[in-house]
Amino acid sequence: MSRRFSMDRRSYLKVAGVASTAGLAGCLSSFGAGGDQEIVAGTAPGFPPFEMKEGGDLVGFDIDLLEAVVEETDYELTEWREFEFSSLIPALTNENIDVVAAAMTINDERDETIDFTDPYYNADQAILVREDGSFSPGSLDDLSGHAVGAQEGTTGASVVDEELVQSGDLEESNFKTYGSYVLAVEDLVNENLDAVVVDTPVANTFEAQRPVTIAFTYETGERYGFGLREDADDMTSALNDGLAAVQDSGEYEEIRNEWFSEA
Amino acid sequence: MVVGVGALLEVVAVCAGLPADWQFVCQNADYLAGGLLLTVALTIASILLGFAAGFPAGAIEVYGSTYAKLAVEIVGVVLRGTPIVVIFIFTFFVFPVTEWFPIHRVLPVSDAFVAAVVGLGLRSAAYQAQLFRGSLQSVDAGQMEAARAVGLSKVDAIRHVVVPQALRRSVPGFQNEFTIVLKDTSVAIAIGLAELLTRSQELFVQETTAVTEVILAISAVYFVLTFGTNRALDQLNERYAIPEDS
Repeated sequence: MSRRFSMDRRSYLKVAGVASTAGLAGCLSSFGAGGDQEIVAGTAPGFPPFEMKEGGDLVGFDIDLLEAVVEETDYELTEWREFEFSSLIPALTNENIDVVAAAMTINDERDETIDFTDPYYNADQAILVREDGSFSPGSLDDLSGHAVGAQEGTTGASVVDEELVQSGDLEESNFKTYGSYVLAVEDLVNENLDAVVVDTPVANTFEAQRPVTIAFTYETGERYGFGLREDADDMTSALNDGLAAVQDSGEYEEIRNEWFSEA
Repeated sequence: MVVGVGALLEVVAVCAGLPADWQFVCQNADYLAGGLLLTVALTIASILLGFAAGFPAGAIEVYGSTYAKLAVEIVGVVLRGTPIVVIFIFTFFVFPVTEWFPIHRVLPVSDAFVAAVVGLGLRSAAYQAQLFRGSLQSVDAGQMEAARAVGLSKVDAIRHVVVPQALRRSVPGFQNEFTIVLKDTSVAIAIGLAELLTRSQELFVQETTAVTEVILAISAVYFVLTFGTNRALDQLNERYAIPEDS
């Protein structure tokens, strides 16, 4: 559960259910999505270094990795489409896209609706603090009594909620969620927050760009996978083979070094 | 290519004197302008569609037969009660409008754009129907009676006497509706349209120190858009106002 699946997004899930039922009932043709050997990929830019826009171009680790993986198969990647993160699963089940490459964490809830490839990245949660600040927590317990922020619906937010707020270690008024982690970090720099909890690779990017530093990491063992439709078994196994080939040839290392060089 | 480099140098020269983060906004002005264009196009197309469907719907709610009235009311309640993002998901994913009306094959617009216009347009039609219902009902019943008394048919009386007065009274409500549609275009990110707000988010993810600058810049753009249009509608309202009793 990497990001943006908060309670008010449940309506999306319901609509996604309706949408996929309609799709299965044959009400929809495979409008827009590619033919037999063509793959249309979908992503949600705004999650550096996994996927973001630079000067209007879609770039990032997921983008390069999926392109390298598809290159190893008989399929052809013909197009990238951009959606909000929470629209990706409806877009996939309705055949607007054939594969999701968006730092999507493999979890049971999603696994019921779609299929995942083998995991291609592991992530944990990092606790960011101000670089020049005096606050340097060493564990979650140290956060109690301090203002803590996270992005709505992310794993970071649920870690704070489950580990600290529900046990009473952190007052609810001291826990703030934001629509974008960029805004949370902005508030950290402005001294309205003392700590922000985000995915480790994203925290590394911030550490390189802003006056913030990672105090410690909290292990959650999340694994990202590419999302596919449940009936697309051929494509799933082709992408798994492609992923293995990219990892064996060292190309995976190259792409990772390119995007996570600050790490 | 030469032209591209020339234009780039020009942009760099214009932006050079600014603080770093404003320079970033300045250098990406053309990217934001592309989003602005999309926002304006979406708003205009949706408002027009909303008017084309909403005005007749409002008239039916006031003057229509029992069944026509009931049908319009039910559709209106459903549309007004559904969040815009859910409407988009329906017009794009569930019942993709472009499958029946492949306008995007003829015009230079994407299928997501068409789905967004239909979604925003239908929702706006439901709001505009209420707006016009209110202004139609606000015209004194005596106007209708007088028109019928001089021999106009019911349809002609509505068309020549009630509607001209009602339209003038609907301008203030219409200003409101315009502003709502303009701001709701930003929800189209759900179906992959990169309008103004989406592009600004992409920019501050790219340059995280420039959050305030980017948000200030696009707020100014939204303000100019809404303020400008509202002033223009104010002018229209004054120009066509029903003269006060003398």
